[in-house]
Amino acid sequence: MPRAAVAFVHIVETVNTRIGRVAMYLIFVLAGVLLWSVISKAFFRPALWTQEMAQFTMVGYFVLGGAYSLILGANVRMDLLYGRWSPKMQAAVDCITIFALIFFLAVMLWGGIESTIYAFEVNERSRTVWRPYMAPIKIVICVGVFLMLLQSIAFLIRDIATLRGERI
Amino acid sequence: MPYEYIAIAMFAGMMAMLLTGQRVFAGIGFVAVVAAIMLWGDRGGHDIAFTSTIKLMNWYPMLTLPMFVWMGYVMSETRLADDLYRMFHVWFGPVPGGLAIGTILLMVLVSAMNGLSVAGLAIGATIALPELLKRGYDKRMVTGIIQGGSSLGILVPPSIVLVLYAMIARQPVGQLWLAGIFPGLLMAGLFLLYVVIRCRINPALGPALPKSELASISRAEKYRLLTAGVLPVVIFLSMMGPFVLGYVSLVESSVIGAAIATLVALVKRRLTREVWEKCIVSTLGVSCMFMWILLAALAFGAVFDGLGAVRAIEAFFLEDLGLSRWEIMILMQVSFLLMGMFLDDTAMLVIVAPLYIPLVRALEFDLIWYGILYTITCQVAYITPPFGYNLFLMRAMAPDQVSLTDIYRSIVPIVGIMILTLIIIMIFPQIALWLPNQVYGQ
Amino acid sequence: APIKWRMQTYAGAALGEHVCKPAIDQFNKIAAGQMEIELYYADQLVPTSELFRAMQNGTIDAVQSDDDSMQSPTEVTVFGGYFPFASRYSLDVPVLFNQYGLKEIWEQEYGAVGIQHISAGAWDPCHFATKDPINSLADLDGKRVFTFPTAGRFLAQFGVVPMQLPWEDIQVALQTGELDGIAWSGITEDYTVGWADVTKYFLTNNISGAWIGHFFANADRWNEVPDNLKLLMQVCFEQSHYYRQWWYWGGEADLRVNGPKLELTSIPDAEWATVEEKAREFWDEIAAESEVKAKVVEIVKKYNDVMAKAGRPYRYG
Ligand code: NA
Ligand code: NA
Repeated sequence: MPRAAVAFVHIVETVNTRIGRVAMYLIFVLAGVLLWSVISKAFFRPALWTQEMAQFTMVGYFVLGGAYSLILGANVRMDLLYGRWSPKMQAAVDCITIFALIFFLAVMLWGGIESTIYAFEVNERSRTVWRPYMAPIKIVICVGVFLMLLQSIAFLIRDIATLRGERI
Repeated sequence: MPYEYIAIAMFAGMMAMLLTGQRVFAGIGFVAVVAAIMLWGDRGGHDIAFTSTIKLMNWYPMLTLPMFVWMGYVMSETRLADDLYRMFHVWFGPVPGGLAIGTILLMVLVSAMNGLSVAGLAIGATIALPELLKRGYDKRMVTGIIQGGSSLGILVPPSIVLVLYAMIARQPVGQLWLAGIFPGLLMAGLFLLYVVIRCRINPALGPALPKSELASISRAEKYRLLTAGVLPVVIFLSMMGPFVLGYVSLVESSVIGAAIATLVALVKRRLTREVWEKCIVSTLGVSCMFMWILLAALAFGAVFDGLGAVRAIEAFFLEDLGLSRWEIMILMQVSFLLMGMFLDDTAMLVIVAPLYIPLVRALEFDLIWYGILYTITCQVAYITPPFGYNLFLMRAMAPDQVSLTDIYRSIVPIVGIMILTLIIIMIFPQIALWLPNQVYGQ
Repeated sequence: APIKWRMQTYAGAALGEHVCKPAIDQFNKIAAGQMEIELYYADQLVPTSELFRAMQNGTIDAVQSDDDSMQSPTEVTVFGGYFPFASRYSLDVPVLFNQYGLKEIWEQEYGAVGIQHISAGAWDPCHFATKDPINSLADLDGKRVFTFPTAGRFLAQFGVVPMQLPWEDIQVALQTGELDGIAWSGITEDYTVGWADVTKYFLTNNISGAWIGHFFANADRWNEVPDNLKLLMQVCFEQSHYYRQWWYWGGEADLRVNGPKLELTSIPDAEWATVEEKAREFWDEIAAESEVKAKVVEIVKKYNDVMAKAGRPYRYG
């Protein structure tokens, strides 16, 4: 495989693993925010920001962790046929079907970027009284989806390598 | 092209994509965005996938999902249920078939502490199954009850499947959970009955523990083990209690549950570095899997709805075929069961969302009750070949002497019992609806 | 049909059956195959928070909503709910739009962002329905209440904790404890969509005002429609507003008196005077935010002045 392609795979997977391993701790941020919600409701005035902050955190969790979850192989496949194929056959089919994933993510990114630009243009804020700006969470979604897109391309390169009998 | 054909093409495309073995969410999402762009390409069809993310974000009960997944992993990885198994082992061992009965009860308790079937299956396959096999229990019978019993995790609250259903059907999660309790107990009861009857007919299927083994356990030890049963009750009550009484919200109750399970694991010094790593990584993986599939399913559903396909289907059943509502319901359930055998529960969610829920609503059936029927069908889907989540896990976790054929054979009576439960609840909806009506006073 | 539109309303199915569907059915029937509007309910195609953008892009051709719920990026968004100072009867809204010039302001504001404003109408009053009774302003303190953004800003000064959720999830949120109540609608809607099943008390004072609602369309789509159909659409949408007028007017009175599910409470008159005064202050604050907002507030003040001088039955006291 071309050295640039191999380097791309390594860099993408290293970056995605690192980001994902940070993102997976967001579950404790999420729990913390919700626990504060319980406490503030019980002892003070219910906090205005907890529910929305929790929702943002959850989105960050599964979007920024998305690429790492792809690396972990956590996303189920239907392996009725797939499971019986040889690794080469699997790689060959994946080489084609990975474009479904790439296309889906690309379209999502397209919509996401448009929505983010819109958020900047109109200074979009959430409807709540807390009124957070919407651009940051939309940027987070775009970044996460972009990283997943890079990861899908890295998978494609790996599959091509497998077909050529090489290992990355 | 008429919309009906596009709708059929979407379904066919989705099935074809799934068969290629590509990641499920990619297949569903791909078909959704392609259809959206073909339909509304010149006018913003590409928005659908992104706006689904926003839909998912706005739906606050989704916050419970990572919490319950975490709780399930802490439960199974820290082996909080080991003592529970030993309790049932000691107390039920002397009866013929007693260890199998104990295993079913274990599965019920584990189900009350987590929202998926994975934890139950892990505990069943790695702790209970080897013990049962060592004592000469019939491997097909016990493999079956572990598979069926662990699937109760999605019917007995808390249940992640019911959270997902609630999102799509826009029904109250609290009521759905309460509705799952009695059907879950009914199904567990039928499993018990099945074991008792089979062991009565053929005691060799489930030999009682030998006297010598029983004698080695002191009376004090027996009573000490009983305290193990307190733990699940505490976790369940501390989670469901404040919620049902209205002190905390659903989402908050899930955090309380997760926090208590974590605390117990810490106090018992079971949260080692490896266990911690396993729990946190698996939670991310499973949460991401669900979120991305749901996201793709929401996009798929929106496009499907945008086609007007839902109306076409309603009109087809109600006007063209001229069926009565119960005939349609039975037709739906049969087709759904058949699909469930070939699909796994995540794919079922995608189908149930655009097709069945609007129809159930149009026919004026209770959507809480239907949520229970849906969940039981998912349980069947979990354990039936060729696709089944539990089936795969069982294959991975079971001891070597349990072959794939054994696993396939083992589920036959279990599926029968599940379908029997399904029929009973279809005929007597009150089994599901009595408790939520009682609590929420409607 | 040669022209096919997708319209999404802010309302969920139960309410949409009344406040939107009849008019759309009528339109489709009269248009007799020349054009067809397909109606979708809250969040069905896109989430309500993305509704405006979807209409701008053309994913959705037309929208029924107030300005506030769909978060329109215009200067008039804050006027989705109008406040105790603004008007008294639902007839006030069409007068403000058709005789006092609000219609032109709305058309201009929406025209600038690629949207055709088709029709404005008075919707329902916004009352509190709660789990605990509200007998004074002090009872509002700390209540987590579903309401709309502008009302939220106004109500926050009474200690209300305003919450935002998808409309379809409110009933569930009341059950699961996420909400203590709603300050969103009249009693008719409470009964129609099932919120009366999960709350106990109804506050007769509409502290959070009432709604102005609209029909909008993507401007390009609108321009493609032949004139006779444009006119038909306008007439049918006006008819929808009219349907609401009597449906709410009769429904509110009937359910207050004969409704079995909600117990009525009121705040003392002296406190109501406080609310009205606070409302006037609040709208002065809003007016200070921009020229357009100042113009709308000024028009409303002018109108109220006329009404007050006109005496009974326009205004009492
Ligand atoms: Na459970
Ligand atoms: Na299956």
